[in-house]
Amino acid sequence: MHPHEILMAALGQCLAAFTGEMHAGLAPLFAWAGGAGLGGDPGLRDRLLGVVLNRDVFGYIVRTFLILLPAGLGVYLMLPRGLPSKQPQYRRVGAALAAFSLVLICVWPVSEKISGGAPRTVLWLLSGWGGSAEFYLLGIVSLASAVLTITSRNPVYSALWFSLVLLANAGLYLIQHAEFLAAATAIVYAGAILVTFLFVLMLAQPQGAASYDRVSREPFLACLTGLLLAGVLLGTIHYSTSVEAIPNAAKQSVRPTAALARTQMTTARETSALVDYAQPHVANLGKSLFQEHFVSIEIVGVLLLAAVVGAMLIAGHTSESPR
Amino acid sequence: MSNSAVALNNYLIVGGLLFTLGLVGFLSRRNLIVMFLCAEMMLQGVSVTLVGFSGYHSTWSGQIFAVFSLAVAAAEAAVAMALIVVLFHRGDSLDVSLWQDLHEPDQPTLVDEQIVDEPVPEPQWPHLAVAGPLPTHPQPLTATHRQLDSTEVGRG
Repeated sequence: MHPHEILMAALGQCLAAFTGEMHAGLAPLFAWAGGAGLGGDPGLRDRLLGVVLNRDVFGYIVRTFLILLPAGLGVYLMLPRGLPSKQPQYRRVGAALAAFSLVLICVWPVSEKISGGAPRTVLWLLSGWGGSAEFYLLGIVSLASAVLTITSRNPVYSALWFSLVLLANAGLYLIQHAEFLAAATAIVYAGAILVTFLFVLMLAQPQGAASYDRVSREPFLACLTGLLLAGVLLGTIHYSTSVEAIPNAAKQSVRPTAALARTQMTTARETSALVDYAQPHVANLGKSLFQEHFVSIEIVGVLLLAAVVGAMLIAGHTSESPR
Repeated sequence: MSNSAVALNNYLIVGGLLFTLGLVGFLSRRNLIVMFLCAEMMLQGVSVTLVGFSGYHSTWSGQIFAVFSLAVAAAEAAVAMALIVVLFHRGDSLDVSLWQDLHEPDQPTLVDEQIVDEPVPEPQWPHLAVAGPLPTHPQPLTATHRQLDSTEVGRG
């Protein structure tokens, strides 16, 4: 057993114990909140507690809100608000809150149904499942860089943090055996699109720190919107992946939704549709791309051509227009 | 089954959070370029979700969809950069609030918080040691040229 596996196992055990305690510790907290805020009505308090701790989708969403609340507050504190002297303090507090929420996301408990056995946290699987440690590293890098992208006051720093998001995402694609997509993301996004961004930024950046970079528009409402969206989205995702089993194509030979369409196809194409990890992936992806999605490829090519011509038409018009 | 379901869960969570962060940045930032970076980040969240589903179902469809979204993102970036260059040349600023007179006539005008510009600090140039004696200034060639010209004119 490698030393890092032992370390990860120990860390996972500690965090599993912590989340178990967290679930037990949340109950009196909410009982107190319900009792203090609602005049001690026991029926209402029990109903509130039941909503938070029960196993249906609403309970999942409420718990997701609790997990994401520090992150929303942290992003709100980190967004530029035109405070040149006090801003670093706010930024540090906000970064600490967001990091705390990220840790909470990482120790999110996975239900017994998908972990198979005793209740475990997501991180506990690090010791038993190869490839997961890389996922957590890359996912944390991606999310932290995303937060720094939207909160940097200098747009050049935003672009550079976004390139880190892209590289971490390319690593995530590699874990899922999407080699072509990883390379395309690194080359097309981080190589071409981002360089274009930086080029325009250098072309169009005024002298010094612009005032519109140092103050953001309605940061509280934006963070509240993001918190609502993320809470509902992640709560529903976590509920549906842990309570309802998503049909898995690898387990069932033919998916029920595609059963009618698949009977029309030849057997050769049906076998090529499932990913065979023994074959080289990029060749199979190209075969699938140019056989089954040929018309779409042509349409995308025409779209790119139209975009390039349109961009030249728009940007080339500037020299003639009066300023 | 268990490991792949956990992996799908993780990918969906990362994708959803990337989408949400891009949305928050798009709503709150005022720099046009940062807004487009945030739009690209939302597309990245969608791509992570698609790749997660592709790995879970062991089919190519998710990856192919992500490739298409990559192509559409490249097209979008080209048009967006051209538009940003044009808008910067018209307004001399990347502030999105300059273009809010495009709003509907019955909507109120958004008033942003006005702050003063930070003074640009003077760059601290390093003091370099003198690396040798100052070279002698080369003799200007214009005088001899003029002399040559005058002699040619005198001869003519």
